Amino acid sequence: MEHYNIVKTLVLTGYGLNCDNETAYAFELAGAKVTRVHINSLIDGSASLDDFKIMVFGGGFSWGDDHGAGVIQAVRMKTNTGESILEFIEKGNLVLGICNGFQTLVNLGLLPGFDNDYKKRSVAITFNDCGRFRNDWVHLKVNQKSNCIFTKGLDKLQFPVRHGEGKFYSDSQTIERLIKNNQVAVRYAMDDGNPAEGRFPFNPNGSLYDIAGICDPTGRIFGMMPHPEALNHFTNHPHWTRIKEKAKREKDDFDSGPTIGISIFKNAVDFIRST
Amino acid sequence: MPHRLEIALKPELFDAVGEGVRQKAKHYFGVELDEVRTVNVVTIDADLSDDQLKTIQDEIFTNPVTEVSSFAPLDIDFDWIIWVGYRPGVRDNPGSTAIEAIEDILGIKLAKGEAVYTSRRYCVKGSSLTAKDADKIAGELLANDIIQQIKIFAKNGWDSKRGIGYIIPKVKLDHTPTVVSIPIDSDASLQKVSDDRNLALNPNDIPTIRAYFLDKDVRAARKKVDLSDPTDIELEYISQARSDHCNHNTFRGLFNYLDLETGKKEVADNLFKTCIEAPTLALKEEKNWVVSVLWDNAGAGRFDNDHYYVITGETHNSPSNMEAYGGAITGIVGVYRDPLGTGKGSKLVMGSFGYCVGPRDYNGDLKPHLHPRRLLDGVIEGVRDGGNKSGIPTTFGQVLFHPCYLGKCLVFVTAVGIMPAFIDREPAEKKKTSPGDLVIMCGGRVGKDGIHGVTASSETFSEDTPAGHVQIGDPYTQKKMHDFLLEARDEGLIRFITDNGGGGLSSSVGESARFSGGCEIELEKVPLKYEGLDQWEIWVSESQERMTVAVGQQDLDRFLELSKKHAVESTVIGKYTDSGKLHIKYSGKTCAYVDIDLLESGFPQWEFDAQWLSPETRGLFEPVLGAPVDYESLLKSLLSRPNICSKEWIYRQYDHEVQGSSVIKPLVGQDRDVNSDAAVIRPVLGSQKGLAFAQALLPTYSAIDAFHMTSCSIDEAVRRIVAVGGNPDHIGGVDNFCWPNIGYHPEKNPDGRFKAAQLVRSCRALRETCIAYQIPLLSGKDSMYVDGHIPGRYGQTHKVSALETLQFSTISVIDDIKKCITMDSKMPGDLVYILGVTHNELGGSEYYEHLEYIGLNVPHVQAKTFKELYRALSHAMDKELVASAHGIYSGGLGVHLAMVAMGGNLGMQIDLGQVPVVNVDRNDTILFSESAGRFIVTIAPENREPFEKILSGHACSCIGTVTDKADFIIDGFDDKVLINIPVKELKDAWKKPFGGL
Repeated sequence: MEHYNIVKTLVLTGYGLNCDNETAYAFELAGAKVTRVHINSLIDGSASLDDFKIMVFGGGFSWGDDHGAGVIQAVRMKTNTGESILEFIEKGNLVLGICNGFQTLVNLGLLPGFDNDYKKRSVAITFNDCGRFRNDWVHLKVNQKSNCIFTKGLDKLQFPVRHGEGKFYSDSQTIERLIKNNQVAVRYAMDDGNPAEGRFPFNPNGSLYDIAGICDPTGRIFGMMPHPEALNHFTNHPHWTRIKEKAKREKDDFDSGPTIGISIFKNAVDFIRST
Repeated sequence: MPHRLEIALKPELFDAVGEGVRQKAKHYFGVELDEVRTVNVVTIDADLSDDQLKTIQDEIFTNPVTEVSSFAPLDIDFDWIIWVGYRPGVRDNPGSTAIEAIEDILGIKLAKGEAVYTSRRYCVKGSSLTAKDADKIAGELLANDIIQQIKIFAKNGWDSKRGIGYIIPKVKLDHTPTVVSIPIDSDASLQKVSDDRNLALNPNDIPTIRAYFLDKDVRAARKKVDLSDPTDIELEYISQARSDHCNHNTFRGLFNYLDLETGKKEVADNLFKTCIEAPTLALKEEKNWVVSVLWDNAGAGRFDNDHYYVITGETHNSPSNMEAYGGAITGIVGVYRDPLGTGKGSKLVMGSFGYCVGPRDYNGDLKPHLHPRRLLDGVIEGVRDGGNKSGIPTTFGQVLFHPCYLGKCLVFVTAVGIMPAFIDREPAEKKKTSPGDLVIMCGGRVGKDGIHGVTASSETFSEDTPAGHVQIGDPYTQKKMHDFLLEARDEGLIRFITDNGGGGLSSSVGESARFSGGCEIELEKVPLKYEGLDQWEIWVSESQERMTVAVGQQDLDRFLELSKKHAVESTVIGKYTDSGKLHIKYSGKTCAYVDIDLLESGFPQWEFDAQWLSPETRGLFEPVLGAPVDYESLLKSLLSRPNICSKEWIYRQYDHEVQGSSVIKPLVGQDRDVNSDAAVIRPVLGSQKGLAFAQALLPTYSAIDAFHMTSCSIDEAVRRIVAVGGNPDHIGGVDNFCWPNIGYHPEKNPDGRFKAAQLVRSCRALRETCIAYQIPLLSGKDSMYVDGHIPGRYGQTHKVSALETLQFSTISVIDDIKKCITMDSKMPGDLVYILGVTHNELGGSEYYEHLEYIGLNVPHVQAKTFKELYRALSHAMDKELVASAHGIYSGGLGVHLAMVAMGGNLGMQIDLGQVPVVNVDRNDTILFSESAGRFIVTIAPENREPFEKILSGHACSCIGTVTDKADFIIDGFDDKVLINIPVKELKDAWKKPFGGL
């Protein structure tokens, strides 16, 4: 029997994507019912977006990141899935892109989605200024004025970045517009929550305006470079042994419940349930 | 007519790749460049219309926000232009994905022979840059002539319309595949053929081979399939299978061991059997968690009732030494196929690396093919791209610098996987082929890659012969195959699976056919990268990213359907039989027909003379050293030593958190910058259980005695596991031997007998220590020829042999990851303990090496005593009485106290007078002795009583406290302050050497 509030979520797999298992796991912890769907299954029709409420473009190295991260994945989907993704969005569903998925969303044009145009590539995510792949934890600050569904009620976050091409780039007008629209949902920050202001390694890639993630004007399409699914358990946090020891000394209960990473996914699930 | 698209970042964008080149030119050669801009070149050798070209230019190859592109040369300012492209036949990964994208967006298939090639043009600005500088940057930084070709243009030599021209690195062999029959009328004639064809047959094997093919019954059977003398493909098959790489002839050899001091003679018959197999099988009986060992591509242990973990380790030394990036990426991607080919297939969950290279700043007279700095950079990047693009976290790694690796570097790669315990209610670790099963090759195609390994490197290049001996791994193709095969496994479609590594199909089909008792292969069905390969080449090619799978006839359609879904090529190339024969046909005609069990009997055992001279008889001694006065400088100098200092720049390039399973990361502590003792992952996301993993490398101890090198390496790898909360009663081991040639030759290898004795001693230590610690050897490999001949100042060559090296890996299951521990000090006021006894054991230490001595007193392992201590510590950790734990490794107590303090960014007040010692009365000995079996532990003061109670009866002493003020203070024996220095100053010294990288 299908319960009325089951939130069906699709996580893309295949062609070098590699965060599909933990992303599916994180969404399950958040209460969703998740299916991992191969890109080709969407294309050949053996899976249909009609069955889902949330679509996730996850992390990985689709097509080896050759010719620009996310570029060939965007080409393949644009060429072969027709209008189905746009229809999916029009229905009020949610789309999340993480890392390689974020790169794909901007190459598809689903982000930033100015003026209801979900096909135009007007921002880019390009090579890190440091010149190479980097795995490190970063502090993030959520824009409280943004209507991004995924970051609602959250303020300061910590997740790992793991990318070679994460520098958010566009012309100054576009950046201005993103800021003005409050589409800049998360920014790289110092540990006190103030913007990183380009300082390495707090801003790990040289992103303009410390942009770590943006949403479309509706707040329902969201892409970010850091990996919330990599904080699916408290032992994922780089300081967890320190936090645990401190809590023990202060006789505090050590919070081993759902992590802040899961909150991102739970926001999405809750939104679908409420609509 | 080919088309050449040039793509560059818009001028206002920062060119990180170009800047990287500028930096390296400065750091490598001291050449100052003003700017480097890069142009990516995509050469499309295909018949496309203008509209089609415009579409792919706009939609695939040009980012409208950041890039400009043109089918004519882009106009970018330069003083010199350096163009770098691949040689024919070298794997061009972006070229292949470009074809996929082009075919997709245009809805076409490129015609046979059409292709896309990628290359790069560097526009270099530097007013004082000479032609010589440009040559150097091209040849020693941007390109390796083994796999790449270069063109250099000065300002006046550049035609802005013609650009670089149209360079198509297409393989043209123009050769009709031919099977050759080899005459075997005498041993000498077969030996000559072996030499001429690079077969590398062992002279001792030749009579056995001849006897087989001259046998009356064999000849009669062969006659029925139109064969008489052996064919080239048959001899290639035998040569591959009998090679030391595949057959481990050295470890299975007979060693006549002579102690030259005592005159005592001993025979060590088959080190593999006596020192590896026997103890492991005995332990398998005792330890019910040992699931599968000694026969498959990797060993397996029980993770929980529903899952087994699998582990194996490999080296990829010779190829990495020639082409660092290509060798290393091929190595890591290759080792990842081992767990995939274990049981009915395992999912990859973790990888690790170990690099042994010459000093990064080497400036001596020897000229290795690649300078250690460039070699290390290439190796780091190869493993990075291979691991990251495979989606497998690289959670642990070590780097060791020593001049003995100038001759040949070592690149260790280790892989851990996980499999369900059962598939379709059948045990997942078991597999077999049966008559009628189909032989399927999945993944990449076959080219001239890796044929005869590196021996081919001495061949001269012509313009369009493939550079086959050095490969570039393709993690993208393999990741698709990995996902596909696991899905096929879960549907119960796989009966047998193994990888195509060394020996290619020859080895994978040959070995899998032994289960059914034969096979019949139709070689013309094997998909090729290009035409013109001889049959024997198809059979032994080591082209990467391929697996051989046995599938039942009734499952074929579903298997191929899944293969198509995952965009993976799978081809039926024959079937398994019970004919007793390896039967290979090419277009219907038999080209090989040999008994499947030919290789199992009749071949002579290899024999070695081993002669041991004790360190004392070799003239080693303890140096006569007065006690130091300035301990602060000394400690900082040790922290800055290449083998101790921070290598954060490497770890940060490796994705160590993909799969969401990270529990203990490679770098830990307040600033996430100090190395953890071991890695811990949670490979089954819903489980509280974890896998702990660690490795150790201590080759400098071999300069004294490889016996103690071995036992100390094992002990270190065990302590690393215990330090993070691993279970000392569940530790699996992996031995990776890298040894110089042990075959004695009066001129070519005059000390071969000593190196052979070191191997015998090492294996004995392996057996003793593993039995004492109860470590079954889940997997292991050997690489026996770590020697290089490199030119010196006058063109004379020097043989440089590596120190006898063993990388030992340990793995353990953790019941509750919440109890894991990191090494950083946690809270001010905590008590600092040392566990274990410090002896006068500075031989082979970092301290002695720093002062340019070797010494004599190499650390000894008392495994039985140590193990009880480890159990006690583990018990205390299980009771959550421990705040931090850290083993004392290279560099000794002083260095590792500093690590604990640097991890916590907290101070320490230590009294050396409290350290348990035996026969030690000097501060420098206590601080820098590398005695095994020791830990530094910090605990909350309120845990003192229960902690000491658990540790009672063991060497355990409180030696100080963690302090809030971040000063590192050590009082010596005589209660005088030896060291009083801010922790930050120590950290700066530790980070300085490679901090700018």
